[in-house]
Amino acid sequence: MSAISPYIVADRVCKSFGAHQVLRDVSTHFNTGEVTVIIGASGSGKSTLLRAINRLEPHDSGTITIDGVPVTDDPNTLQRQRSEVGMVFQQFNLFGHLSVLDNITLAPRRIRRTARAQANEQAMVLLRRVGLQEHAHKYPWQLSGGQQQRVAIARALAMAPQVMLFDEPTSALDPEMVQEVLDVMRELARGGMTMIVVTHEMGFAREVADRVLFFDQGCIAHDAPPADFFNDPGNDRIRAFIGRMGA
Amino acid sequence: MLIALWPHRWSRQQRSNATLVSALVLTVFALALLGQVLSFLPEPIGPNAQAFSAGARTTLWLTLVSGSVGLALGTGAALARTARWAAVRWVASFYIWAIRGTPLLVQILFVYFALPVLVPGLNLPDFAAAVVALALNVGAYNAEAIRAGLLAVPRGQTEAARALGLGRTHVFFDVVFPQAFKISLPPLVSNFVALLKDSSLAYAIGVVELTNVGNRIQSATFQPIATLTTVAVTYLLLTTLVTQISNAIEYRFDVEGRNQ
Repeated sequence: MSAISPYIVADRVCKSFGAHQVLRDVSTHFNTGEVTVIIGASGSGKSTLLRAINRLEPHDSGTITIDGVPVTDDPNTLQRQRSEVGMVFQQFNLFGHLSVLDNITLAPRRIRRTARAQANEQAMVLLRRVGLQEHAHKYPWQLSGGQQQRVAIARALAMAPQVMLFDEPTSALDPEMVQEVLDVMRELARGGMTMIVVTHEMGFAREVADRVLFFDQGCIAHDAPPADFFNDPGNDRIRAFIGRMGA
Repeated sequence: MLIALWPHRWSRQQRSNATLVSALVLTVFALALLGQVLSFLPEPIGPNAQAFSAGARTTLWLTLVSGSVGLALGTGAALARTARWAAVRWVASFYIWAIRGTPLLVQILFVYFALPVLVPGLNLPDFAAAVVALALNVGAYNAEAIRAGLLAVPRGQTEAARALGLGRTHVFFDVVFPQAFKISLPPLVSNFVALLKDSSLAYAIGVVELTNVGNRIQSATFQPIATLTTVAVTYLLLTTLVTQISNAIEYRFDVEGRNQ
């Protein structure tokens, strides 16, 4: 086990969309090697925090640091930080005009200047890891949602990131495809990847998370290991939420 | 049309390449042989076959040059219209507004006659003046076609590319532009075909292109039906060939297999 150290630190982060404040003085930190699951009602700010970490959604005030370096608009630093932080989206967002292989190799070839042959080799290793080596030359539209999401995970892993952010990775999937994606994520967690997962999959949170954060109206309302979190939810809002999610 | 000729076991790219190459070869052949084929026809076409074929070459050349410049201009103007700086957006909007709101014939006459007065020393020869006017014109229409394509690329695509750490240039050239271009291609082809026909207006400033040739022969021989039919059929031949080329390009980008 590596020594526990905060890799991403959020300090009094605020963010508003117009008059609506989605993040209110959020302070927390994410440690290397830890799997954090963020749950909460929609609109509670959990996705916004995730998107603020890699600055897809710039925050208004407060600071976010990744490995001690603040996240700002400086393009060079930001690009370096983004390649250290992989992201998986709810809607997969695979590049529709590129084959599965090219989706995965694009970033390493452009950013790390990896030669195509070598990038392809590395991509095939990743595709085997997510169980899709036979689909390397297909295009995204030829794959099921679950397969697309697994490719999206492989694409994010191709930059060998230090952290993986998952923004509701299974919310757009048919129920029978949820497990194949969760299996890949479980495998990643077992390999020691630092992960921050926004999800409604309570089973996954219980089983895989080291820590569960509950977001409520832009604040972190509860922060506990999964066993404590689910057995002793702290307040009634959380209890009601867990009840609705059927966990 | 041509695409259907190739065996189905060929890959999409092979079929696209085969179509592209054969359409280009056909175009070159058509232009090279047009004069000879027309020379077999009776009066008044036969004796004037070389003039027709030279006119057709001028028309195609005029279209290709102004079409290429217009594509670059259209891409630039589309980017300018979606730029972050208001002044840049405003200039692009003004350009599109002015060009789309005035007749092409006036634009051609303006570049040829008014520009030398406004900018002393800028005396463009008739062909160059026609190229400038046609390129400016098609550029404005291309700009809107390309802008529509750019706006149609889902936001998630740029977000995913940025999240991977790709810089602005790579996000644009590797992710946004290829997808936008595919969406813009059909309207761009329409613009190009329209340009091929609109190039006939260069006749007004004395460019000896296909329509001009036909009109001269028509008025010299008093045989409007034969000459103007020849002109029309030659335009039809050129637009058909251009459409084959553009179909091949469209087919190449059709990774989803929607154009069967």
